[in-house]
Formats: sequence, structure tokens, C-alpha cells
Amino acid sequence: MYSRFYLSVLLISSLLFLTYMALVAFNGVMPEWKYYQLEYKDLLIKNAKDDAARKRAEAIPVKLQQIYLSAFNKEDRCTSCHIGIDNPLVANAKLPFKKHSGDYIANHPVDKFGCTVCHEGQGSATNKREAHAKGHTYWDYPTLPLSYIQSSCAKCHDFDMLSKKGGDKVAEGDRLFREKGCQGCHKINKVGGDLGKPLDGVGNQPIAYFSMKHVIGDHTVPTWLKQHFDDPRAIVPTSEMKVKLKGPESDLLTIFALTLRSDELPKAYRYKTYAQPPKQEGETLYKTFCSACHGEGTQSLYDEVLKRTIPAIMNPSFLKIADDKNLETIIKEGRNGTQMTAWKTVASGLSEDDVKSIIGYIASKRPAEAHEPFPIKDLTGDVNHGKELYAAHCAVCHGQDAKGGENLIGINLKNPTVTKMVDPEFLAVTIRDGREGTSMPPFGKEDFALNNQDIVDVVAYIRDSSKGSK
Amino acid sequence: MDRPAKGVSHMSHTYGVSRPLHEIRFKYVLTVLLCIMFLSVGLRAVVEADEAAEAKIGEKIYKVRCMVCHGKEGNGKGPSGILRKEESTGRIIEIRPRDFTLGLYRFRSTATGCLPSDEDLLLTITNGIPRSFMPDLKSIPFDERKAVKSYIKTFSSRFTEEQACKPIDVKKPKWVGSEESVNKGKVIYKNMKCWECHGETGKGDGSKSEEIKDDWGEKIVPFNFQTGELKKGSSAENIYMTFTSGLDGTGMPSYEDTLKEDDRWHLVSYTLKLMGKLDKGKSHTQSAHK
Repeated sequence: MYSRFYLSVLLISSLLFLTYMALVAFNGVMPEWKYYQLEYKDLLIKNAKDDAARKRAEAIPVKLQQIYLSAFNKEDRCTSCHIGIDNPLVANAKLPFKKHSGDYIANHPVDKFGCTVCHEGQGSATNKREAHAKGHTYWDYPTLPLSYIQSSCAKCHDFDMLSKKGGDKVAEGDRLFREKGCQGCHKINKVGGDLGKPLDGVGNQPIAYFSMKHVIGDHTVPTWLKQHFDDPRAIVPTSEMKVKLKGPESDLLTIFALTLRSDELPKAYRYKTYAQPPKQEGETLYKTFCSACHGEGTQSLYDEVLKRTIPAIMNPSFLKIADDKNLETIIKEGRNGTQMTAWKTVASGLSEDDVKSIIGYIASKRPAEAHEPFPIKDLTGDVNHGKELYAAHCAVCHGQDAKGGENLIGINLKNPTVTKMVDPEFLAVTIRDGREGTSMPPFGKEDFALNNQDIVDVVAYIRDSSKGSK
Repeated sequence: MDRPAKGVSHMSHTYGVSRPLHEIRFKYVLTVLLCIMFLSVGLRAVVEADEAAEAKIGEKIYKVRCMVCHGKEGNGKGPSGILRKEESTGRIIEIRPRDFTLGLYRFRSTATGCLPSDEDLLLTITNGIPRSFMPDLKSIPFDERKAVKSYIKTFSSRFTEEQACKPIDVKKPKWVGSEESVNKGKVIYKNMKCWECHGETGKGDGSKSEEIKDDWGEKIVPFNFQTGELKKGSSAENIYMTFTSGLDGTGMPSYEDTLKEDDRWHLVSYTLKLMGKLDKGKSHTQSAHK
């Protein structure tokens, strides 16, 4: 009746169960933080210089530490392990006993700020794994790597102050963000281009918003951002993002991107001076909104990512023809069918004044002498002859459909900005004189020798062909 | 056919008759030889006349289709000048249209130092060159493309002075693209110092990539295998041809003498691997063909 086999199974399973229960009970009595606190206590006793200090150390109670932050309605238990956070005696001790570096604690008392306000992580957790919450838990805000910690400074401080005191990296990131022209494609506060995603709130977006498929290492938002800045197409294969970053610049921009948060700290914490931001110069605006694609704008460039040629908008021969009115038309309306989006206020959030100062900056490079006038008013164009000439001379670069595009060095001509809004003379002079700094040759000269009538015919065809297609 | 053969076998037995036969044979051979000579000279004259006529038609087409980049004199200094391009990696490339006057061509099926065959030139004219701005001319009739080819040949005296060489045989072994072949190719890539220019991962960022100049003294950059199609075409055969013929005028030499045929094919396998052509689908060789 009594099977030896069943008996031994019962015995082993009950032993296992009892061991498990014992372990659970032991874990309850001796949680992870208790070991740290005991070790910390030993450390203090060992290093005590006199009896009084030793007595004080021995008197430290071993208990769960907790900072309640009423303004945030949360509690941080980090000091249960990071127990020497404000103790100068352990300035050089190992983690987690080490005193907080710098004088941040002096200005940001732990009992008012807690830890997770700056460092992120799960404040109510009582063990390391859950508190740091890196990559293997469902907690959305794992602790920030220390190299990116300055992004938290911008929660309360403005970049002016940070650049001078303790926040040099995040302030540099802010400067880079404008210099690299990120807003040429991304909107912030409804200001910027349309090609990329708006960046508002990207700094505290949950991990689920980021595709971590190609990310190497920790699957956290900062790693995603950093690797995305280094090589956008390695992380998002279809990305059209243009970045040229050197050395630490991708880290600095990551720090800056993390400051773009949708939440705000309670007013009592914020220390920003809400002065009106200084009016930006035309050059700064050009860099912020135009330079990502146009660069310095003196030479045109075919871009393998955007799959079309980016026109040179700052070279003298262009500016000679493009007066302020034409420039305004092109900037405000953009070029439909290309990556050049419209920059009028309703589309981009740029103010009239901003557009004017950008034009002012571009026009400052305009040469003094005007272009040779073109007698466009005296001639009428013949569309059919223009069509033949277009096929013979223009199609090889601008494409049969005049839309430019992949593997074509010519730009898109078949958009309303070119065909309707810009002066016909603008086109005629460009065809006749060509454009320096680009691959557009002067068709009125040298080997082509198109006469004015020919040119007017081509202009007529370009302006007409688009009408027909509509 | 039977009768003369019989006669010969019969007559060759007797000494007396064989002599006149020798004379007949000699005369016959001589006539045939002369005929062939005249015919070939005549044919050649006809072909040349044909080419000259073709070149004239070609000139017209050239002026409209090609001159804007390659220039009136065929020296690659057309009115459009240097074409600039930024790769997806941010590297800026200056593309100089081909100078026809030296008769130096990269895309050949002939040994290094040789002229390209007419088919080679026609292939480039017809298909264009990917990733440069050389468009394909598939839209114009074959005769016109041939005419353009003939006209382009007039820019260099090499085409009248030299003969084109025999095309290189390409016979792809079955194992190209196999894992073993890729591994062998990897070793060759290392030993032959391909990485000095093309970089460890084929990104064209090797230590010497900054200092390469072409035969015209202009800076050129090695190919980044990860950015897309090869200019000569990305099939295994095309890549093999590049290793064998070399890209004359650039820093890419011919490995016909320095690498055995099999080794060149192993290198093809590794190149396809670097280009990411072996990752798609199970059939290695098929994906390589596409």
C-alpha cells in the first residue's frame, strides 16, 4: 500500500515547499536594503575617529528610509540603500554609500527634492532591480544614465543660467539643436517644419513609443535617442533624417532631447526666468530652420536620403535674380512635391517677422550689380517649340516630367511655386545665365546658344505643362 | 563530294599525277586567301565607312544628350560642371563626367589596359550608371545609341590605333555565395588589403580612402558597399568582371594576375555578403542575380 516512490515525492515536494517558505520569510525579515544599511553602519564604525563618532554610528537605527514629497504626492525610498547621500564622511566610499557628488545636495535638499525628480527610476521600489528599472521591468522611467543627467536640470532652470552654472552640457545641446537645424523638419510648440515628427514631449514619452528592434544594449529612451542621432537609418530604416554629428554631439543632443517633456514640475520648484526670449537674428533663424537641408547654401547638392537635389539658395547668381518678393513667395509657399514645406505662419508657426529676417539674412549676400534685363514682355512664347527644346536640353537633368527627383541633378520645376507664383523673368534669366554653384549651365551662351525667343518658348512650356496636368 | 575524294585517294598512289595537283592546290589556296584578304579589307572599309557615317548621326545626338555634362570636346568638362552628391552616410562626393579623350574606360569586359568592346560602350549608354547622374538611353532607338557610341569613339585616337582585346570569359561556379566561399573571400579581402580603401565593413572608409586619386589627378572615393548598387552592376558576374578587368583610370586594379580565378569568385561571394545581397531569401545565387 505504502509506495516508496509516492512517499519520497511527497517528502521532496514538502521539503522544497518549506525551503521556499523559509526563504520568503527570510527575505521579508532581511530585505536587500538591510544588508546595505548594516554594511554602511559597519563602515562608519570602522572609520570612526573617536568614541563619540563611533557611538553615534552605533546608534543609527536600521530601518526603511523614505522621503515623502507632498508637492508630487510620491515617496522616494532610494535613501534606504543610498544612505550616505548627504554624509561628508563617506565622500569617497563606494556605491551605494557614497555621498552625492558636487554641491547639488546643498542647493537641492534631499527632503524637498527627493531623488527621482532628477534621476528618474521607480522611487517606491525597495530593491535595486525594481528601483533602477533598467530594461527588464515594465517601468517606463528607468534611472537616467549619469552622462545624461543634466537634462533634468532644465526641468526647473533656463538654459542661460545652466550654461553658466553646472549645466554646460544641456545648454550646449540646446545651442546645437538650433545650429543643426532640427526645427527645419521637427515642430516644437507648433513652430518648425513638417517632414519629421513633432518633438513636444519626446523626453518623457513611454518606452512603448520607441521601436527598440534595432537598438543595441539597454532598451531605454536615452539609448534609442543616442543611437538614432549616430545613425538614424540604423534605428529607423525608413528615416529621412539628415544628421552630421561629430564626437560628443550626439550625446549632447540626446541630453537636450530629454528636456523636451510634456509635464511640468510644480511652480514652487521651477526657477526659470520667464523673460521674453530675445529676438532672434536672421542668421540664427536660417540655421534653425533652413540649414539642415540647405547648409551654407552656396552650392547645390544631390541628396541620397531626400532623393533629390537641394538648391543653392545663398549663391550670388541666384540672389541676383531672386528679389525679396520672389524669395518670400518661395519660402512662404514652399515647393509642393518636394521636401521644401511651406513656411507661412499657418503652416510652420513662424511669424511674419521671422520670415522677413530670414529673407533679410539671405538677401544680405546679394551682389550689388543686377542681372542683365530680359525682354520677356516683348516676346510671346510658343509652347510647342518650347516642348521640343525642353525634351532636347532640359529633360536629361530635370526629368521627362520636369519633377526632378531620384537620380536627377535637376530640381523640381513642376510645382505651382515655379509655374504660377514666381515671375516668368526669374525663369528666363535662369535659363539664359545658368546658375553658378549648381549644375545649371547657361543656355543662352556657349554651345547651346538658345536665343531669347527659344528661352521664352521653354518658359512658356514649363508654365503651361503644369497647368495641363492639373 | 564523294567523287573528288575518291580521285584524290586514287591519284595519290601514283607519283606522276600528284605534282599538277599540288599546283592546283596552291593556286586554289592562293585564290581563296586573296579573296579573303580583299573581302576583309573591303569589309573593313565598309565597316569604317559605316562607323564614320554613324558617328555623324551620333554627333547630333551627343550634342543634345551628352554634351551638357561630357563637353563639346568630350573631355568631361561640360557646361554643367562637377555634379555634387551627398550619400546617406553624409559623405559628399564630387562626380566628374567621364573624359573620353584618353580612351580610358572603367566598365569593360576586356583585360586591364585594353580598350572596351563596342558592346561595353553600348551597355553603359543603354543602361546608364546607377548612383551617378548618367541617365539610361533606353528611350532612344538602338541605331541611335550605336551612333552615339561611334561618335564617342572618335574622341580618342586609341580606337583607330589599337584593336579591342578578347572579352574575358565569365563562368560563374555554383558555389558562389555559399558560406564557405564567403569565409574564404573574407580572408582574401583581409590579405589583399581591400580594407585599406573599402574599409573593414565595406563602407568605403578605409585608412587610405582619403588619399586616392584617379588618373586625372582628382580625388575619388572608394565604393561604400552598404549604400546600394554598384555602378557596373551588382550581379556576381559584374563583380567578378570588376576584379578581373580592373577599373582603369581609378585606384581599383585588375586582379587577373594576382588572384586565381577561384579566389576572385570567393571575393565576389564576400562582396555580395558585404552588400547585404546574401541575406535576402534562401537562394543565394538568385538574389545575387537581381
